[in-house]
Amino acid sequence: MNLVQAFKMAWKSIWGKKGRSILTILSIFIGIAAVMTIVSVMEGMKAYTREQNAAMGSNKINIYIYSNVWDEHGNNLGKDYFPDLYNYCNSLSEYIDGVTPVGWLDATVSYGTKTSANMSYQWDEEGNLIGDRPPTLHYGSDQYSNCNNLSIVKGRDLAWLDMENYNQVCVLGAQAAKVFFGSADPVGKVMQVNGYNFEVVGVYGSRLTDENANQSQIDNLIVFPYTTRRILGGQLPTEYQVTVKDSEMITEMISRIGGFLKGLIDRNQGGFDVSSNNQWQEYENEQMTVIGLVLGGIAAISLLVGGIGIMNIMLVTVTERTREIGIRRAIGAQRSSIVAQFLVEAGMLCGIGGVVGVAVGTAGSIILGKAMFQMTIYPPLWVTVAALSLSVALGILFGVYPAIKASRLQPVEALRAE
Amino acid sequence: MRMAGLIELRNVYKIYAEGLESEVRALDGVSVTIDRGEFVAVVGQSGSGKSTMMNVLGCLDIPTYGDYILNGTDVRELTDQELSRIRNKEIGFIFQQYNLIQNLSVLENVELPLIYQGIDPIDRREMAMDALDRVGLAERYRHKPTQMSGGQQQRVAIARAIATHPPIIMADEPTGALDSRTGLEVLGFLQQLNREGSTIILITHDNGIAATARRIIRLADGRIIEDRVQEVDWL
Repeated sequence: MNLVQAFKMAWKSIWGKKGRSILTILSIFIGIAAVMTIVSVMEGMKAYTREQNAAMGSNKINIYIYSNVWDEHGNNLGKDYFPDLYNYCNSLSEYIDGVTPVGWLDATVSYGTKTSANMSYQWDEEGNLIGDRPPTLHYGSDQYSNCNNLSIVKGRDLAWLDMENYNQVCVLGAQAAKVFFGSADPVGKVMQVNGYNFEVVGVYGSRLTDENANQSQIDNLIVFPYTTRRILGGQLPTEYQVTVKDSEMITEMISRIGGFLKGLIDRNQGGFDVSSNNQWQEYENEQMTVIGLVLGGIAAISLLVGGIGIMNIMLVTVTERTREIGIRRAIGAQRSSIVAQFLVEAGMLCGIGGVVGVAVGTAGSIILGKAMFQMTIYPPLWVTVAALSLSVALGILFGVYPAIKASRLQPVEALRAE
Repeated sequence: MRMAGLIELRNVYKIYAEGLESEVRALDGVSVTIDRGEFVAVVGQSGSGKSTMMNVLGCLDIPTYGDYILNGTDVRELTDQELSRIRNKEIGFIFQQYNLIQNLSVLENVELPLIYQGIDPIDRREMAMDALDRVGLAERYRHKPTQMSGGQQQRVAIARAIATHPPIIMADEPTGALDSRTGLEVLGFLQQLNREGSTIILITHDNGIAATARRIIRLADGRIIEDRVQEVDWL
């Protein structure tokens, strides 16, 4: 007897007991659909956080350097480590896009009659900004723009010489330029920052895209050379950011920079910390994996229960059809033919359950993906293939015992059954 | 001088619960030889061992002791697979309760032994239809057994038994569930098959039916108490 015949027989038997077959299929399809939905939603969740992290800058390394040497007035006597860090990072320019101190400045900026001190703004009902919003003021190096996805459209960017010479210059973001200068060209104009004169040397292009069109504040910034702290006030920089070209290199760069800082900083005078958002991402991924395993475990249990259900039904089927098995054996069916018949039947029942489960699981993934992440999540191909194979394997696994039991029946005794 | 028989039982025992108080000797030292082309009726009361004898002869059961030589082969030495092959190719079974598979059509039932022979679908269908034609049910091939009368079902069973053209036909009370007219019809088929060369072994408790056989073997308590050949009018 060949497999085609076994399939035909199995189909006849499944079709012949439609109600029972549907219930049996149900028990498998629920498990398969649950597994599929869980796995693909987990995959979607991972992709979603990956995307989020990329937007937040998963190619960024955060460095924190502190000094614990103080004078009697409470002033920090630590040295400025940035030039050394800057040179070191530039020697790794193959891997590193830029390095900059990270710091904010609390100051009043004004040009002519416009001053950040008395700007007022509000949002209308549709969320549009009305009025002028004060810009955020950043300290940075000449590589601030590299690290923050900014590029010059007018004038020039900050230069290392601006740092060394404490030049009173600044570069405006697109929105800040609009706030203070309207459509006029700001380059060469002199602004007052806490009363000090600062020359605008350049303007950055806008970072707005279609997706963040209402977040004009990301362009509302002014960047000053970090060394102008000496004029504008504030402590030495303690936080720095390195932008790595390839996020795969993050771990390597963290260890190299850490090694460099270890040699640079006297442990009696201070310390440092090097880390990245990727570590958070890894942590989140780990958590996600744990959640996935727990949910997957529950789904696996439901599959196991479904499988036991299959075994139960197949045992009932074998008992009910003892006489048929006897007849088949009497007219020449070998044991292997009987095994094949019941295995194929169990595999087919579960296979149908698998197909329905994959269909429902796909729908479930799409619906849940839309509801939870506003994303269209299609189950990965491997999940679909795995779910189908799993269901058939389940049928065969739990069909083995009933099938062998059927084949072991003695023809004489089987024929005597009612 | 007789040739070695087609079927030969040598001192065959079938004992259940051997050695216990409830021991039953269904066959108690049976020796018999049946030649090709014979028409044998095995007669006896219920419990005489005739069904056990048919099970042994039909390779459905293995004797506890003694040898069963079928066509020169000792059945006791055969594997389950080889026994299946013998049941499939050498023997056609006809049962009292027809033993058709209810959810298969008439044609599919008749095709079943051919499926287990691995015959391809086109030839199989042709052979099955030939067999159905011989029992006069070719045009009802699509019916389910439950849609037919007992006599018709038994004719389907006969078609299934002869579809593989086996040299031996074993019929266990084939008329037991039928009225006398359809019973005679079934007997007629068996006689026709015998005339064409098939060896027929007919198990029955009915002396009237047995009287139509050329040879009668009478069993009681697992032993042969009579074995005689008689003239019949249908040859």
